[in-house]
Amino acid sequence: MALRDSLKVLVVDDMPTSRGLIVQALEEMKIWKNSTENNGQTALERLSKEPVHLILSDMNMPVMDGLELLRNLRANRATKGVGFILVTGKPTPELVAKGRSLGMNNMIKKPFTTAQLKACIEQVVGPLA
Amino acid sequence: MTFAKTAATPQIISVIQGEYAVSDQPNVTMSTVLGSCIAACLYDQNRRVGGMNHFLLPEAKTGDGQNVKYGAYLMELLINDLLKMGAQRHHLRAKLVGGGKMSQLLGDVGAKNIEFGRRYLINEGIPIDWESMGGVQARRVHFYPTTGELKEKFVQNDAQIDKPAVVARRPKRQSNVELF
Repeated sequence: MALRDSLKVLVVDDMPTSRGLIVQALEEMKIWKNSTENNGQTALERLSKEPVHLILSDMNMPVMDGLELLRNLRANRATKGVGFILVTGKPTPELVAKGRSLGMNNMIKKPFTTAQLKACIEQVVGPLA
Repeated sequence: MTFAKTAATPQIISVIQGEYAVSDQPNVTMSTVLGSCIAACLYDQNRRVGGMNHFLLPEAKTGDGQNVKYGAYLMELLINDLLKMGAQRHHLRAKLVGGGKMSQLLGDVGAKNIEFGRRYLINEGIPIDWESMGGVQARRVHFYPTTGELKEKFVQNDAQIDKPAVVARRPKRQSNVELF
Protein backbone atom coordinates (compact mmCIF):
# COMPACT_ATOMS: atom_id res chain seq x y z
CA MET A 1 0.00 0.00 0.00
CA ALA A 2 1.47 3.31 -1.07
CA LEU A 3 1.76 6.17 1.40
CA ARG A 4 -0.68 8.30 -0.60
CA ASP A 5 -3.40 5.69 -0.03
CA SER A 6 -3.28 6.12 3.74
CA LEU A 7 -2.21 9.76 4.04
CA LYS A 8 -4.84 11.97 5.69
CA VAL A 9 -4.54 15.65 4.82
CA LEU A 10 -6.35 18.68 6.20
CA VAL A 11 -6.47 21.78 3.97
CA VAL A 12 -7.06 25.06 5.83
CA ASP A 13 -7.83 28.16 3.74
CA ASP A 14 -10.50 30.85 3.98
CA MET A 15 -10.84 31.30 0.21
CA PRO A 16 -13.07 28.65 -1.38
CA THR A 17 -11.25 28.89 -4.71
CA SER A 18 -7.83 28.38 -3.11
CA ARG A 19 -9.15 25.51 -1.00
CA GLY A 20 -10.58 23.88 -4.08
CA LEU A 21 -7.35 24.30 -6.03
CA ILE A 22 -5.29 22.64 -3.29
CA VAL A 23 -7.73 19.74 -2.99
CA GLN A 24 -7.72 19.38 -6.78
CA ALA A 25 -3.90 19.19 -6.76
CA LEU A 26 -4.04 16.55 -3.99
CA GLU A 27 -6.49 14.51 -6.01
CA GLU A 28 -4.24 14.76 -9.05
CA MET A 29 -1.59 13.12 -6.82
CA LYS A 30 -4.20 10.46 -5.95
CA ILE A 31 -4.35 11.60 -2.33
CA TRP A 32 -8.01 11.04 -1.61
CA LYS A 33 -8.32 11.29 2.18
CA ASN A 34 -8.67 15.06 2.31
CA SER A 35 -10.76 17.35 4.46
CA THR A 36 -11.03 21.14 4.53
CA GLU A 37 -11.56 23.94 7.04
CA ASN A 38 -11.73 27.69 6.54
CA ASN A 39 -9.62 28.93 9.46
CA GLY A 40 -7.25 27.81 12.19
CA GLN A 41 -9.88 27.68 14.92
CA THR A 42 -12.23 25.36 13.06
CA ALA A 43 -9.20 23.29 12.02
CA LEU A 44 -8.25 22.74 15.68
CA GLU A 45 -11.82 21.72 16.51
CA ARG A 46 -11.85 19.18 13.68
CA LEU A 47 -8.40 17.83 14.58
CA SER A 48 -9.53 17.07 18.13
CA LYS A 49 -12.02 14.58 16.62
CA GLU A 50 -10.33 13.58 13.37
CA PRO A 51 -6.51 13.43 13.51
CA VAL A 52 -4.57 13.79 10.25
CA HIS A 53 -0.98 13.20 9.16
CA LEU A 54 -0.44 16.46 7.33
CA ILE A 55 -1.87 19.99 7.33
CA LEU A 56 -1.65 22.39 4.39
CA SER A 57 -2.55 25.79 5.79
CA ASP A 58 -2.93 29.23 4.29
CA MET A 59 -1.28 32.07 6.21
CA ASN A 60 -3.85 34.90 6.16
CA MET A 61 -7.20 33.80 7.54
CA PRO A 62 -9.82 35.38 9.77
CA VAL A 63 -10.27 34.21 13.38
CA MET A 64 -6.97 32.28 13.50
CA ASP A 65 -4.17 32.56 10.94
CA GLY A 66 -1.72 29.89 9.82
CA LEU A 67 1.06 30.67 12.29
CA GLU A 68 -1.33 30.79 15.23
CA LEU A 69 -2.69 27.42 14.15
CA LEU A 70 0.88 26.09 14.02
CA ARG A 71 1.62 27.47 17.50
CA ASN A 72 -1.46 25.73 18.89
CA LEU A 73 -0.62 22.45 17.16
CA ARG A 74 2.90 22.34 18.56
CA ALA A 75 1.68 23.21 22.07
CA ASN A 76 -0.70 20.25 22.18
CA ARG A 77 0.66 16.77 22.88
CA ALA A 78 -1.87 15.14 20.55
CA THR A 79 -1.00 17.31 17.55
CA LYS A 80 2.60 18.41 18.09
CA GLY A 81 3.97 15.81 15.66
CA VAL A 82 1.61 16.50 12.77
CA GLY A 83 3.21 17.61 9.49
CA PHE A 84 2.63 21.27 8.72
CA ILE A 85 3.13 23.04 5.39
CA LEU A 86 2.41 26.78 5.20
CA VAL A 87 0.87 27.94 1.92
CA THR A 88 1.35 31.63 1.25
CA GLY A 89 1.44 34.21 -1.52
CA LYS A 90 4.00 36.32 0.32
CA PRO A 91 6.81 34.23 1.83
CA THR A 92 8.77 37.07 3.40
CA PRO A 93 12.03 36.25 5.25
CA GLU A 94 10.30 37.24 8.51
CA LEU A 95 7.44 34.83 7.85
CA VAL A 96 9.83 32.00 6.96
CA ALA A 97 11.87 32.62 10.13
CA LYS A 98 8.76 32.79 12.30
CA GLY A 99 7.36 29.63 10.76
CA ARG A 100 10.61 27.75 11.27
CA SER A 101 10.88 28.87 14.88
CA LEU A 102 7.37 27.55 15.52
CA GLY A 103 8.11 24.18 13.95
CA MET A 104 6.84 24.49 10.40
CA ASN A 105 7.95 21.51 8.27
CA ASN A 106 7.84 23.19 4.88
CA MET A 107 6.44 26.16 2.97
CA ILE A 108 5.11 26.63 -0.55
CA LYS A 109 4.45 29.85 -2.42
CA LYS A 110 1.26 30.42 -4.38
CA PRO A 111 0.71 29.96 -7.25
CA PHE A 112 2.22 26.48 -7.44
CA THR A 113 1.98 23.57 -9.83
CA THR A 114 0.83 20.13 -8.74
CA ALA A 115 4.40 18.86 -9.25
CA GLN A 116 5.76 21.57 -6.93
CA LEU A 117 3.20 20.75 -4.26
CA LYS A 118 3.96 17.03 -4.59
CA ALA A 119 7.69 17.68 -4.11
CA CYS A 120 6.94 19.90 -1.11
CA ILE A 121 4.76 17.20 0.50
CA GLU A 122 7.29 14.43 -0.18
CA GLN A 123 9.99 16.46 1.58
CA VAL A 124 7.85 16.20 4.70
CA VAL A 125 6.27 12.75 4.57
CA GLY A 126 8.52 10.84 2.14
CA PRO A 127 7.70 9.29 -1.26
CA LEU A 128 3.97 9.09 -1.89
CA ALA A 129 4.10 6.07 -4.18
CA MET B 1 1.71 46.29 -4.62
CA THR B 2 1.27 49.90 -3.63
CA PHE B 3 0.01 51.41 -0.42
CA ALA B 4 -1.14 54.96 -0.91
CA LYS B 5 0.58 57.60 1.16
CA THR B 6 -1.54 59.86 3.30
CA ALA B 7 -1.78 63.15 1.50
CA ALA B 8 -4.37 65.85 1.04
CA THR B 9 -3.55 66.45 -2.61
CA PRO B 10 -5.04 64.22 -5.32
CA GLN B 11 -2.94 61.17 -5.94
CA ILE B 12 -3.13 58.88 -8.95
CA ILE B 13 -1.84 55.34 -8.59
CA SER B 14 -1.13 53.60 -11.86
CA VAL B 15 -1.86 49.88 -11.63
CA ILE B 16 0.08 48.01 -14.28
CA GLN B 17 -0.32 44.41 -15.41
CA GLY B 18 0.45 41.87 -12.70
CA GLU B 19 0.19 44.47 -9.94
CA TYR B 20 -2.45 45.63 -7.51
CA ALA B 21 -3.07 48.51 -5.11
CA VAL B 22 -5.26 49.15 -2.08
CA SER B 23 -6.11 52.40 -0.36
CA ASP B 24 -8.35 53.99 2.25
CA GLN B 25 -7.51 57.54 1.17
CA PRO B 26 -10.30 59.60 -0.44
CA ASN B 27 -7.82 61.63 -2.48
CA VAL B 28 -6.56 58.52 -4.30
CA THR B 29 -7.58 57.52 -7.82
CA MET B 30 -6.42 54.21 -9.25
CA SER B 31 -5.80 54.30 -12.96
CA THR B 32 -5.09 51.71 -15.61
CA VAL B 33 -5.46 50.98 -19.30
CA LEU B 34 -6.86 47.59 -20.29
CA GLY B 35 -6.85 45.66 -23.52
CA SER B 36 -7.42 41.92 -23.05
CA CYS B 37 -6.50 42.27 -19.38
CA ILE B 38 -9.05 42.41 -16.60
CA ALA B 39 -9.13 44.79 -13.67
CA ALA B 40 -11.08 43.64 -10.63
CA CYS B 41 -12.03 46.61 -8.47
CA LEU B 42 -13.09 45.54 -4.98
CA TYR B 43 -14.37 47.80 -2.25
CA ASP B 44 -16.09 47.95 1.11
CA GLN B 45 -18.24 51.08 1.16
CA ASN B 46 -18.85 50.79 4.90
CA ARG B 47 -15.15 50.84 5.75
CA ARG B 48 -14.34 53.07 2.76
CA VAL B 49 -11.46 51.00 1.48
CA GLY B 50 -10.92 49.60 -1.96
CA GLY B 51 -8.40 48.24 -4.38
CA MET B 52 -7.73 47.29 -7.95
CA ASN B 53 -5.72 44.55 -9.60
CA HIS B 54 -4.78 44.18 -13.24
CA PHE B 55 -4.15 40.77 -14.67
CA LEU B 56 -3.91 38.74 -17.82
CA LEU B 57 -4.09 35.02 -17.38
CA PRO B 58 -1.15 33.53 -19.26
CA GLU B 59 -2.04 31.06 -21.98
CA ALA B 60 -0.47 28.30 -19.93
CA LYS B 61 0.81 25.33 -21.87
CA THR B 62 0.21 23.22 -18.78
CA GLY B 63 -3.55 23.71 -19.12
CA ASP B 64 -6.26 25.92 -17.71
CA GLY B 65 -5.72 24.64 -14.16
CA GLN B 66 -2.47 26.57 -13.87
CA ASN B 67 -4.18 29.66 -15.30
CA VAL B 68 -6.79 29.53 -12.57
CA LYS B 69 -4.10 29.12 -9.89
CA TYR B 70 -2.32 32.24 -11.15
CA GLY B 71 -5.52 34.26 -11.31
CA ALA B 72 -6.68 33.08 -7.90
CA TYR B 73 -3.31 34.05 -6.45
CA LEU B 74 -3.61 37.61 -7.79
CA MET B 75 -7.16 37.95 -6.53
CA GLU B 76 -6.19 36.62 -3.12
CA LEU B 77 -3.35 39.13 -2.72
CA LEU B 78 -5.82 41.96 -3.33
CA ILE B 79 -8.47 40.56 -1.00
CA ASN B 80 -5.99 39.85 1.80
CA ASP B 81 -4.61 43.39 1.72
CA LEU B 82 -8.12 44.86 1.70
CA LEU B 83 -8.95 42.81 4.79
CA LYS B 84 -5.72 43.96 6.45
CA MET B 85 -6.74 47.56 5.73
CA GLY B 86 -10.04 47.03 7.53
CA ALA B 87 -12.44 45.79 4.86
CA GLN B 88 -14.93 43.17 5.95
CA ARG B 89 -15.17 40.13 3.80
CA HIS B 90 -18.98 40.04 3.75
CA HIS B 91 -19.14 43.71 2.72
CA LEU B 92 -16.84 43.37 -0.27
CA ARG B 93 -18.39 44.18 -3.65
CA ALA B 94 -16.82 44.14 -7.10
CA LYS B 95 -16.69 45.89 -10.42
CA LEU B 96 -15.09 44.05 -13.33
CA VAL B 97 -13.74 45.71 -16.41
CA GLY B 98 -11.63 44.77 -19.46
CA GLY B 99 -11.25 41.53 -21.39
CA GLY B 100 -11.43 43.01 -24.87
CA LYS B 101 -10.64 41.07 -28.02
CA MET B 102 -7.74 43.14 -29.22
CA SER B 103 -6.70 41.19 -32.29
CA GLN B 104 -8.68 39.25 -34.85
CA LEU B 105 -5.63 37.08 -35.54
CA LEU B 106 -5.01 35.89 -31.99
CA GLY B 107 -7.32 33.77 -29.86
CA ASP B 108 -9.87 35.44 -27.62
CA VAL B 109 -7.68 35.75 -24.54
CA GLY B 110 -10.04 38.35 -23.15
CA ALA B 111 -12.92 35.86 -23.03
CA LYS B 112 -10.89 33.49 -20.84
CA ASN B 113 -10.11 36.33 -18.48
CA ILE B 114 -13.77 37.37 -18.34
CA GLU B 115 -14.84 33.83 -17.54
CA PHE B 116 -12.23 33.52 -14.82
CA GLY B 117 -13.10 36.87 -13.22
CA ARG B 118 -16.81 36.14 -13.03
CA ARG B 119 -16.37 32.56 -11.87
CA TYR B 120 -13.88 33.53 -9.17
CA LEU B 121 -16.09 36.23 -7.65
CA ILE B 122 -19.19 34.01 -7.74
CA ASN B 123 -17.21 31.21 -6.08
CA GLU B 124 -15.99 33.59 -3.36
CA GLY B 125 -19.46 35.02 -2.80
CA ILE B 126 -18.43 38.57 -3.72
CA PRO B 127 -21.31 40.33 -5.53
CA ILE B 128 -20.52 41.91 -8.90
CA ASP B 129 -22.18 45.34 -8.81
CA TRP B 130 -21.23 46.33 -12.33
CA GLU B 131 -19.17 45.09 -15.21
CA SER B 132 -18.00 46.30 -18.59
CA MET B 133 -16.22 43.52 -20.39
CA GLY B 134 -15.51 42.25 -23.87
CA GLY B 135 -15.79 44.27 -27.06
CA VAL B 136 -12.90 45.15 -29.34
CA GLN B 137 -11.64 48.35 -27.77
CA ALA B 138 -9.15 49.17 -25.07
CA ARG B 139 -10.36 50.99 -21.98
CA ARG B 140 -8.92 53.65 -19.73
CA VAL B 141 -10.26 53.15 -16.21
CA HIS B 142 -10.29 55.37 -13.13
CA PHE B 143 -11.35 53.79 -9.84
CA TYR B 144 -12.03 55.65 -6.61
CA PRO B 145 -11.31 53.12 -3.85
CA THR B 146 -13.17 54.68 -0.95
CA THR B 147 -16.46 55.11 -2.82
CA GLY B 148 -16.27 52.30 -5.35
CA GLU B 149 -16.98 54.75 -8.16
CA LEU B 150 -15.50 53.73 -11.51
CA LYS B 151 -15.14 55.67 -14.73
CA GLU B 152 -14.17 54.11 -18.03
CA LYS B 153 -13.34 55.59 -21.38
CA PHE B 154 -12.94 53.57 -24.54
CA VAL B 155 -9.83 54.24 -26.57
CA GLN B 156 -9.62 53.34 -30.24
CA ASN B 157 -6.14 51.92 -30.55
CA ASP B 158 -2.68 51.79 -28.98
CA ALA B 159 -1.78 55.23 -30.26
CA GLN B 160 -4.54 56.76 -28.17
CA ILE B 161 -3.90 54.81 -25.01
CA ASP B 162 -1.20 57.08 -23.67
CA LYS B 163 -2.82 60.35 -24.61
CA PRO B 164 -4.11 62.45 -21.72
CA ALA B 165 -7.81 61.95 -21.10
CA VAL B 166 -8.45 65.68 -21.31
CA VAL B 167 -6.65 67.78 -23.89
CA ALA B 168 -6.36 71.47 -23.07
CA ARG B 169 -7.83 73.58 -25.81
CA ARG B 170 -6.50 76.90 -26.95
CA PRO B 171 -8.80 79.68 -25.79
CA LYS B 172 -10.97 81.17 -28.47
CA ARG B 173 -9.86 84.57 -29.57
CA GLN B 174 -12.23 87.13 -28.12
CA SER B 175 -11.08 90.11 -30.11
CA ASN B 176 -8.64 91.19 -32.72
CA VAL B 177 -6.03 91.88 -30.08
CA GLU B 178 -3.30 89.28 -30.12
CA LEU B 179 -2.09 88.22 -26.72
CA PHE B 180 1.50 87.12 -26.24
